[in-house]
Amino acid sequence: MRLNDLMTVSVRQVVRHRRRYLGVVLAIALGVAGFINIITMSRVVKTNFNEDLDLIGGVTVIRLYFDNNRSYRPQWFRDNTLAALSRLNGVKEMSLMAVHTANTNWHGQQYGFSVLGVDEAFWQVRNFWAQTGNLFGAESVAGRKRECVLGAELARKIFGSHDVRGRSLEINNESYWVSGVLGGVTDSGSANAAFLPLTTTKDRMAGQVLTDRLYLRCQTWDDVSRIAAAIPAIIKANQSPEELHVEVSWEGLKRVQQLAWWIQFLIYLAISATFILGGVGIWNVMMAAVVTRTREIGLKKAMGAEDKDILAQFLSEALCLSMGAALLGGLLGRIMMEILGRLLGIRPPENLFFLGLALGFLFAVILGVGAGLYPSLRASRMEVVTAIRYE
Amino acid sequence: MNNLLAARQAPGVLIQVTDLTKSYQTDSGTIYVLKDVNLSIDPGEIVAVMGPSGSGKSTLLFILGIFISPTTGSYLLGGEDVLRLDRNAQAEFRRNRVGFVFQSCDLLENSTVYENLEFPLIYAGVARGERPARIGAALDLVNLGHRIHHSSNRLSGGERQRVAVARALVNQPQVILADEPTGQLDRSHGHQVMDHFVEIVSHSQTSIVVVTHDPEMAARCTRVCSIRDGILYEQ
Ligand SMILES: Nc1ncnc2c1ncn2[C@@H]1O[C@H](COP(=O)(O)OP(=O)(O)O)[C@@H](O)[C@H]1O
Ligand SMILES: [Mg+2]
Repeated sequence: MRLNDLMTVSVRQVVRHRRRYLGVVLAIALGVAGFINIITMSRVVKTNFNEDLDLIGGVTVIRLYFDNNRSYRPQWFRDNTLAALSRLNGVKEMSLMAVHTANTNWHGQQYGFSVLGVDEAFWQVRNFWAQTGNLFGAESVAGRKRECVLGAELARKIFGSHDVRGRSLEINNESYWVSGVLGGVTDSGSANAAFLPLTTTKDRMAGQVLTDRLYLRCQTWDDVSRIAAAIPAIIKANQSPEELHVEVSWEGLKRVQQLAWWIQFLIYLAISATFILGGVGIWNVMMAAVVTRTREIGLKKAMGAEDKDILAQFLSEALCLSMGAALLGGLLGRIMMEILGRLLGIRPPENLFFLGLALGFLFAVILGVGAGLYPSLRASRMEVVTAIRYE
Repeated sequence: MNNLLAARQAPGVLIQVTDLTKSYQTDSGTIYVLKDVNLSIDPGEIVAVMGPSGSGKSTLLFILGIFISPTTGSYLLGGEDVLRLDRNAQAEFRRNRVGFVFQSCDLLENSTVYENLEFPLIYAGVARGERPARIGAALDLVNLGHRIHHSSNRLSGGERQRVAVARALVNQPQVILADEPTGQLDRSHGHQVMDHFVEIVSHSQTSIVVVTHDPEMAARCTRVCSIRDGILYEQ
C-alpha cells in the first residue's frame, strides 16, 4: 500500500467518523494546549506570582548591611560593588539606603525618629505603596528636594492624622514638604521613620551619612539562595567584607517554594491526566473500532489486503487522530497564550512556543502509536474467515 | 513436486480440486463438513453449487478463496498448488486471482462506489492515474457507470450487489467466487446479476463459481453441482 493512498484512506476514515473521535481529539488537544502554555508561561507567571506573594513574605528580597556600630572602620557599599551585584544573573532591582537619626519640634513637642535616606527604587523593591498622597520619585532624588514620606505611626504621632500631603514638617530645624504616608506591609521601624531622598539625606544630615544598607530583589524565589551564596565573594572582590550581614527570610522562602511546587505539581498532574485520558481514549476508540469494523477488515482482506496493510491503516488512523488533535491543541494553545499574555501584559518568547508545540506533537505521536498499536495488531491478525462470518 | 502435479492436470483446466476434505474438531467430536470433494473447472465456465443450508457450500467457496485451508486434499489453480502459499502470498492470490461476492451486500459503509472499487486496485498497487478507467470499465459491465460517485449507503439492494460484482472483477481475476449473491434480491434483480455473470464469461476467460438456491439461476450456468452431506455431486 502506497503512502499517499494510506494517508488518503486514513484521513478520510477519521474525517467521516469525526463524531466518534471528537471526545478523544478534544482531550488530547486540551492537553497539548495546556502543555504549551505551561512551557511558555511558567517563568513569567512565576515572576508575577512572585511579586504578589511578596506582599506577604518579601521572600525574594535579600537584605545586606554593614554593622558599623561594631566596626572601627565604617563600611558602605561602593559603586563598583553595586555595579558587580547588579550584573548578577537573576537580580531584578536594588535599592541603597542610609540610616540617620533626626528630631522635630511640633507644637512645642520634641520627637526623635529615624531618617531613612532612600532612592526611587526603594518602594518597588520593598513593595511599599502610598497609603495617602505620593511616594517621591526619581525627580525628587535627582533634584535633592526637601521632601519626605512618613511612616504611618510617625504621621499619626506628629499630625494626628494620615491626611498630611502638602503639609510641612521641620526636621533638624529645616522645613520639609510632606508628600505622603507609607503603606504596605511595614515593620515598626518603617512605620516610625521618615523617608527622605538619599541625596537630600547626604546633603543635610549632620556628620557622616553612610550608605551601608542594600535591598536586593531577585527575579524569582528560585534565584534567592544562589544569589545569597554568591554575594560575599562579590563584596570581597570589590571591598572589605568586614561586618557584612546578608539576611534572607529562609522560612518564608521555603514555604513559598513548597506552595509553588505543589501548584506546579498539580498543574502537571492535570496535564498528564489529560494525556493519559487521551491515550486511554485512543485505545478504547480503536479497540471498539476493531470490533465494529470486523466486517470491513474481513472484506479488505478478502480484497487482498495483507496484514501489514491493515496494520498500517489502523496505525495511521490512530496517528491522524492524535496528530490532528495536536494540531488543534497547538492552535488552542496559541490562542490561550495570546489571551494570557494580554491579561498578564507579557510576550513570551516565540521559540518557547515552538518548543512547546514540538513537544506536544512528539507526545501526540507517542500517544497515537502507543495506544493504537495493540488494537491495530489485533485488527491485522484477524483471520479472514472470522471476519467474513462475523455478523 | 509442483511440476508433477501440474503435469497431472488436464490441459486448459483452471481449477483442479482433488479429494478435498474439511473437518472441524469440536467438543462433541469431529464434524465432517466436506468429504472427498473432486471438482475441475475450465476457464470461462459458470459453475452453480446448490445444496441445503449447512451442507458446506460456503466452506467450499472459502477454501477456493483460501480463506480457510482444507483438512486434506489438493487444490491447484492454473497449475499452481495454492495451498502451499504463505500468508502474504495468500493475500497476493486474493487480490490478483480471485474476486469474491458475498451473500449480504458487503460494501464498505460511508464510502462511495468509486472508493469501494478502488480498494482492490490500491492493494494490487495499481497507479492512481489508471484507476478511474479500470473502475469505469468494471461499472459499465454491470450498467452502473452513472452511480460511480454515489454513496454506497444510498444504493438499492440490487445495485449494491451489482457493485459488489463489479468490485470482484475490477482486478480481472481468473475466478469469481459468489456466495449466494442473489439470495437477498428479488427475482428480476437476481436475474440481472446472473445476466452480468453470463456477460462476463462471454468475453473473458474468467470462471465463476456461484452458490445459489434458485434452480432458474442454476439453469443458466454451464454446469450445476450439488452438495449433500458433504459430498459433491455433478448433475
Ligand atoms: N469453525 C467451525 N467449526 C465447526 N463447524 C463449522 C465451522 N464453520 C462451519 N461449520 C459447520 O460447517 C457446516 C457448513 O457450513 P457452511 O459451509 O457455512 O454451509 P452453507 O454455506 O452450505 O450453508 C455447518 O454445519 C457449520 O455449522
Ligand atoms: Mg453459506
